[in-house]
Amino acid sequence: MARYLIRRIVQSVVMMFVMSIIFFALIHLIPGGPTAVLFSPHLTKAARDNLTHVYGLDQPVYMQYLIWLGKFVRGDFGNSFVNGLTVSSEIFGRLPATLELLLSALAFALVFAILLGVTAAVRQYSLADYTTTVLAYVGISMPVFAFAIILQEVFGVKLGWLPTFSNQSPITDGFTPFDFFLDGLVHLILPTIALSLLFIAVWSRYLRSSMLDVVKQDYIRTARAKGLSSRLVFFRHALRNALIPLTTQVAIDVGGVFSGAVITETVFAWPGLGRLFYDSLEARDYPVLLAMLMISTASVIFFNLVADVLYSVLDPRIRYS
Amino acid sequence: MDIVQTEPQSNMPVSAELTPELTRARKSQGRLIFERFIRNKVAVAGFVFLVIMSALALLAPVITHQTAHFDPANHPNLDIALVGPSLAHPLGTDALGRDVLARLLFGARVSLEVGIFSMIVSLIFGLVIGSLAGYYGGWIDAVMMRITDAFLSTPLYLVLFVLSIAFNNGKVSTVVILIGVLSWASAARIVRSEFLSLKEREFLLAARTLGASDLRLMFAHILPNAAGPILVTVTLLIGNNIITESVLSFFGFGLQPPQASWGTMLNDSQSYFVTDPLLLYAPLLSIVLAVLSFNLMGDGLRDALDPYMTQR
Repeated sequence: MARYLIRRIVQSVVMMFVMSIIFFALIHLIPGGPTAVLFSPHLTKAARDNLTHVYGLDQPVYMQYLIWLGKFVRGDFGNSFVNGLTVSSEIFGRLPATLELLLSALAFALVFAILLGVTAAVRQYSLADYTTTVLAYVGISMPVFAFAIILQEVFGVKLGWLPTFSNQSPITDGFTPFDFFLDGLVHLILPTIALSLLFIAVWSRYLRSSMLDVVKQDYIRTARAKGLSSRLVFFRHALRNALIPLTTQVAIDVGGVFSGAVITETVFAWPGLGRLFYDSLEARDYPVLLAMLMISTASVIFFNLVADVLYSVLDPRIRYS
Repeated sequence: MDIVQTEPQSNMPVSAELTPELTRARKSQGRLIFERFIRNKVAVAGFVFLVIMSALALLAPVITHQTAHFDPANHPNLDIALVGPSLAHPLGTDALGRDVLARLLFGARVSLEVGIFSMIVSLIFGLVIGSLAGYYGGWIDAVMMRITDAFLSTPLYLVLFVLSIAFNNGKVSTVVILIGVLSWASAARIVRSEFLSLKEREFLLAARTLGASDLRLMFAHILPNAAGPILVTVTLLIGNNIITESVLSFFGFGLQPPQASWGTMLNDSQSYFVTDPLLLYAPLLSIVLAVLSFNLMGDGLRDALDPYMTQR
């Protein structure tokens, strides 16, 4: 296991290194580049040259890469072209909002996916099963942004029940701490539902089929033969093993959550990392874009590794060599 | 125990010995798969919907009376902006007075084009990389699979948005290539695993003994046997690609306005939901139905191709 883990970690680091080259090249392919967007057309040639020099953009691209890499491995992600702040402070500033949305969506999705998945498996071919199936198929076939717009328009604009933008009200004068909490909570509802739809759809199907596999096994028959109640057999014996494959799927999906977050956060103007990426894209803010690409790729690679390790920890029959 | 020499049986009608079940004309594999697919009502419904949608998309210029001087999907007329459904405009008009039905039909063309052609791009990458990796194994496999891993670990939309800013000129062909180049990894994995298991089979050894070349073994012997799972994968891929196109176009990174696409239509409709919800529901429902149909068909094919698949 230790050798396997070390090999995988080394592979991951090499992969990140290769990806960094690709991403760096990719960012520099964007036509116009930061100079076209950032520099006022009224700047004199001298001022322009000076700024280009300050940003290091007058160096050849491979030198820019090496300088960037040297700083990156020491944890320095550079400075934003837009506001001069360090990229790490930008990212850490946005991280809480993203984590808030992510954890809330994760909890919401897990609760609903487990409820739906178990119901569908326990009452196979019932109305509840078919309804879950239909909902899952529609959820998988619906683009996240389209679902987000519907939520916004129906519950925000038409009914006026819930806020549709940002994570807090624009005016918070005279709010007590409890008001802040409540305000944050209502802002969280729609983005949470939007981000978790796909998870609920996929995970509930996943759990249903793994439940159906598990209940066919001998130890379940033994449990029944011992005279345990159906409820006990399903929830104590079957569910716990059925959750193993779901755990790894959840880990993998959490790793890839940035793609969904960019979309959800942009639609809901949620001030998190996804929105930061979108804004940096518009502004051609190279250092922020690069950092975001690296972080989201690292997240995919890391959580894939977590999924594999979890799988072998939870299921002793799986051994890596 | 002696081996009893039985009477030559040539004078006896063979069928008399066998049960009626065994003498019934044997169905071909394809026929069996077809029958299993037909029995799956929702998969067939998906297929029928896709046939109708493709026909409508193909006939869009005829249905909407497109001429050299008249582009029905992009014919603004502010005098009739945001009018409801009527005989002249069955789904009403949008904020610029363009016919929604016409835009929907031309949007279907875009979705199908992008969905299918980017699938073909993915399939080509997936076939080349997956078959090389699975057939040759060793260091070729290692290299190919690391490349595949790299593509699997890139966050799709982030990279796609950056690529679109760099390369996209708003043309369908560009969007097709961008999506295709980024979404072949799962196809490559399927192809590889099929090749890995099939290359060990006896029929392949037989073909090799007869002197078949590597290329012939790969494409005349292994590929036809791997066709099923690959077909399922690419069917599901089309649906995903349609979603990806709509996301790109919605955020302004895909097809550019005034080009009609379901994604741009959704973007255009955003400010008018309270008064004209149809502007939003029409493209939304189209996307969901189209993607749903491809997903149902893909799953139906998977079940039909799997002889051990029991009803669930």
